[in-house]
Amino acid sequence: MSDVHGMLMSADDVAEMTSDPVMPPANRETQRTKVRSATLHLVLGALGVIFLAPMLWLFLASIDKNASWGVEWPHFSLINFKHVLTGSLLHSLWNSVVLAVISTAIASITGVFAAYSLSRRRIPFKGPLLLFIIFSSGVPLAIMVIPVYEIFSRFGFLSILPTAVFLSVTSLPFEVYLMKNFIDAVPIDLEEAARMERASTFQVLRRVVIPLAMPGIAAASIFGFVNAWGSFIVPLILISPANQQPAPIAIYTFLTLPKAEFGNIAAYSLVFCVPVFILYAVSSRLFREGFVLGGGVKG
Amino acid sequence: MASLPVMDTVTGPSMSELWKTRHDKSRYQWSSLGLLTPAFALLVLLFLVPMGFAVYLGLTNLTLVGPTAIHSAFTGMANLERLKSDTTFWSSLWATGIFIVGSVVGVVVVGYVLASLLMRARPWMRMIVGGVVVVAWMMPAVTAGMTWYASTTGGGAFSTLLGIPNTNFLDNDPLLVVTLASIWSMTGFSMLVMGAALRNIPSEAIEAATVENASSWQRFRMIILPLLRPTMTAVVLLTGLLALANFSLIYIMTQGGPGNATNILPLYSYQQAFTYNNLAYGALIGNVMVVIATVFGVFYVRITARRL
Repeated sequence: MSDVHGMLMSADDVAEMTSDPVMPPANRETQRTKVRSATLHLVLGALGVIFLAPMLWLFLASIDKNASWGVEWPHFSLINFKHVLTGSLLHSLWNSVVLAVISTAIASITGVFAAYSLSRRRIPFKGPLLLFIIFSSGVPLAIMVIPVYEIFSRFGFLSILPTAVFLSVTSLPFEVYLMKNFIDAVPIDLEEAARMERASTFQVLRRVVIPLAMPGIAAASIFGFVNAWGSFIVPLILISPANQQPAPIAIYTFLTLPKAEFGNIAAYSLVFCVPVFILYAVSSRLFREGFVLGGGVKG
Repeated sequence: MASLPVMDTVTGPSMSELWKTRHDKSRYQWSSLGLLTPAFALLVLLFLVPMGFAVYLGLTNLTLVGPTAIHSAFTGMANLERLKSDTTFWSSLWATGIFIVGSVVGVVVVGYVLASLLMRARPWMRMIVGGVVVVAWMMPAVTAGMTWYASTTGGGAFSTLLGIPNTNFLDNDPLLVVTLASIWSMTGFSMLVMGAALRNIPSEAIEAATVENASSWQRFRMIILPLLRPTMTAVVLLTGLLALANFSLIYIMTQGGPGNATNILPLYSYQQAFTYNNLAYGALIGNVMVVIATVFGVFYVRITARRL
């Protein structure tokens, strides 16, 4: 299933680009093919360097005890990492975990019920509902942040938990869409068998649908987590207590300090990326398993 | 699905009774609505309600602080009149257009070039270059903005690598640099999606064209491009939407400056609402963004719904 949304693609896709659609012509042209291949690798190498260049500072400055904005050979030291993993900076990372976990849990739990209902049940106005879901999965809901700010401030909600709920709504439509596609692929025979044994809706969900659609649910949850983890404008506007600010705000605060600690900024930004990279690796693995769903009904 | 009618040989309905009601269609079940309620309640409360509220807010004189922060009033078209004569708004709209078009064109072109070259490259090259591009895509926007700021400011990576150490690219061509950063941060996505689509093109089609002596441009123009069009349209719409809402990357790099050079709509809306305290006016600028996003979104729905 080649969906247009990013989380469905994986690092394995990069590795799988093996099939060669352009067959090499007969051997009289091998010389030309060699030149072509060399050019191709040169162009790719150049593109790779261009893409790598902006990241250099991040890696070099994080292990340099005298870092600046420039790129230079580092005076190797891990002191930056030691500095940023203490006190309020560590607390901001923890706030990010809280924010992302809560918003993911809300979006995934409410989302899986909605996805099941949309996938299997007859529902009045199902077509328009699905169109609404697709529409709001494409439109970045974070642009709604000013009216949400006004509503939250009237109710005294400008803190971490209501913000987590709002963040869950920004990833909910895409999660529903993704999980619905996966539940569509779960064979209905298994569910009917469970129904025959008089299983309730919740039992069917818990014992049949959720386990079989797990790769999709996990991928949707990872999408939700990454979305909440990286979000900057939403907590910037919606969270007012300083001790509830997540890591992106801490990174921004670094910039407003009179004396910039370049090494610390780089180290902290790098630490902040780690969960995203790990989850991406996990999700690409999940998608390999996602394709063997069909085996559930055999025997 | 509804539960199947259980046939009981002793007390069950007779065949003639079964004929009277239709059994070929499963009926609505109340539990279906129960399952939908939590998700849709959230979407209504935190998406539809704020959206409606924003329309109203845009037509009031609400401010962040001061007397009108508590007692705001409906001022009708006053904000719209202001918007019409606000030169910063029009230059912001123009910058937004350049930023979106530049980002989308760059993401599609570079993503396609990478995808098609990587297909023919050796595995180690594929791993390294593909990996770097994907890492750039996965990097959270705040981190990407930080590392791009460091690389394009005076003495940063680009000026060092190009041997002109004191050039401050970010100050010289701010809109160009933030557009490049935006392309950098989204290309991984288009590369993966288009790579998957390219692999789905049957190799027979391309072999046949090669046998017929079609040039590589003809192969691209006549076979690859038409087959790739749906994927490209989806990439264009999604990256366009993401570029339109791109606040974090630019805010970290330039905060909309220097002057108003990179002050695209999301930043200008934020600036009006929270720096100049004009919450209502900021909401109105946000509404302009919602209108633009809706146009993109409608096209996006049309191409996605075909696959449902």
